[in-house]
Amino acid sequence: MKRPTNSISITAELKDFLESGVSVVVGTRDSACLPDAVRAWGPRVGRDGRTISLCVAVATSGSALSNLRDNGRVAVIFCLPTNYKTIQLKGRFLGTTRPNGQDLAAVEHHRDSFTASATGVGVDRRFMEGLWQKELVESAVMLKIRFVAEQVFDQTPGPDAGARL
Amino acid sequence: MNAPPRPTVPLESIEICLEGIVPATICSCSREGMPNVTFLSVVHRLDESHVALSFQFFNKTRANILQNPRVQVLVVSPETSEQFRLDLQYLRTETEGASFERMNTRLDAVASQSGMSNVFKLRGVDIFEVLDCRPVGSEFRAEVARKADYLPELDCFTERLSACGDLDSLLSTALEELSSLFGCAHSFVMFPDEEGKRLYTGASHGFEPSGVGSEVLIGKGMLGVAAKRHATVRTTNLTREMLLARAVRSAIQRRGQQTLLEREIPLPGLSNAQSQLVLPLLVGDRFQGVLCLQDQTPGRFLETDERVLQIAARHLAIAMSNIRLPVSPSRKVALKRTGAFSKRSSVVKHYKSDDSIFIDDTYLIKGIPGRLLWKLLGAFVGTGRMTFSNKEIRLDAGLRLPDIKDNLETRLILLRRRLDERCEFVRLVHAGRGQLHLEVSRKLALEELP
Repeated sequence: MKRPTNSISITAELKDFLESGVSVVVGTRDSACLPDAVRAWGPRVGRDGRTISLCVAVATSGSALSNLRDNGRVAVIFCLPTNYKTIQLKGRFLGTTRPNGQDLAAVEHHRDSFTASATGVGVDRRFMEGLWQKELVESAVMLKIRFVAEQVFDQTPGPDAGARL
Repeated sequence: MNAPPRPTVPLESIEICLEGIVPATICSCSREGMPNVTFLSVVHRLDESHVALSFQFFNKTRANILQNPRVQVLVVSPETSEQFRLDLQYLRTETEGASFERMNTRLDAVASQSGMSNVFKLRGVDIFEVLDCRPVGSEFRAEVARKADYLPELDCFTERLSACGDLDSLLSTALEELSSLFGCAHSFVMFPDEEGKRLYTGASHGFEPSGVGSEVLIGKGMLGVAAKRHATVRTTNLTREMLLARAVRSAIQRRGQQTLLEREIPLPGLSNAQSQLVLPLLVGDRFQGVLCLQDQTPGRFLETDERVLQIAARHLAIAMSNIRLPVSPSRKVALKRTGAFSKRSSVVKHYKSDDSIFIDDTYLIKGIPGRLLWKLLGAFVGTGRMTFSNKEIRLDAGLRLPDIKDNLETRLILLRRRLDERCEFVRLVHAGRGQLHLEVSRKLALEELP
């Protein structure tokens, strides 16, 4: 799929944040504008600095995948549990592929760093293990979603939440 | 009118997912078809097919639901890590009424504790119909909702309380039974002072030191707000609440609006409390104090627990109110000193300015209980009197006691417990009907200071 021309370049600082121990949820909608949310793992910013990829469990993301193929609109939220710094990217879906070794390594890295940041503020490790086991072990088949961001928002809680960056 | 649809998974069976122990996520969609995702604190279940979401700031989610009423909320069980999708349809926004008041009190309590009272303002409560609630993934097996049956415990609790003849034993019994019957290992009761400005701890269970005598301002912090509004305040994840508040605090600072910020108030009680339930002790409109339960585990007190413990607290409040101090004859009994006197001696200082008492330069107590102890010790050192009646204390003009009968008893409990905890040679014990017995096992020198 051809990359939309108005995609934005992800700064090094933002890349570091997106690839850190954040909670990641993907928002999509169907042709009737009914929304859908699904948890995602292993976010990576590509070498071009514009393409972002993340993995979803096939068992949990049927609606999201069909929505993306239907209209390509995507919003993804990244939130760091330690301080609630939150970024939302809105953009266009590029396509799906089977995750390669690097993607699976990113999923594992994300799983560990997300667990570390959450347990650091008192979240029970068993809960975190349960969360990724349900998605990453019980639903063994994953798909990689690729998209480009067209807008970046600071979604950190407060009066300025939603400000465009 | 059509009956609302029954969700695939009954909402009551996933109560724990809706409590804000783990943040939920909401996905909305604009009229133009752009999705928006953000995190939510608490999803309030109103009934089997309706939920309420609070909003403090006008944001994209708000704008979207006014354009397109369909949203999806993703919640997670902190117990099983199971996820559920709730498909919701926006119905209306409420800015008053029971749901609004309840959410408003909770928000104000957290705001006050975190020094954010000028920032956190509940603007409205959005009411949604739940079109469906279904598990994420296919492997979930719906289980029958856990039915909490606390009848035997409540039966036992009320029986034990009704056997108590005085306020001191009533409070001790209530807190012990809350622990043994309901597993509430850390609890305390705070009473309002005579001016209605402060709450002070009169009894506690599961704390070392006991914290008896510690104070909070009525209207400030979670306990103070619960006291002022005569309302229950329940929190399920204090660490998360405080992290969220600090994130907003940083945003306010970046805006240069520091003047809006107040100091964060330390929470009394457990240093690592995660769950807290503050229950007002009310009989009609008469406010007698608050019962506070704390736990180190997030999500310890859920909606069901709140209901059960509310019953226990109401019963305790009525029992407190029913305990009438027995009227004793006003004879003044002067007993001879008994027991062995230690060879050591101690200096008791009384500062008239605030009636504070220091024993060997260590602070013991202040205010009315301080004045009371000074009076009793003066009588003891001067005449050797050791037994006093509640009635004579109440009628003693020199003590300047407020004209609130209940408060003498709660002040005596506070004084007795402070002495038990901090002074091994002065004790105040019940000596039967309306009588107090002062036990002193060391020579005392009294010193009055301005």
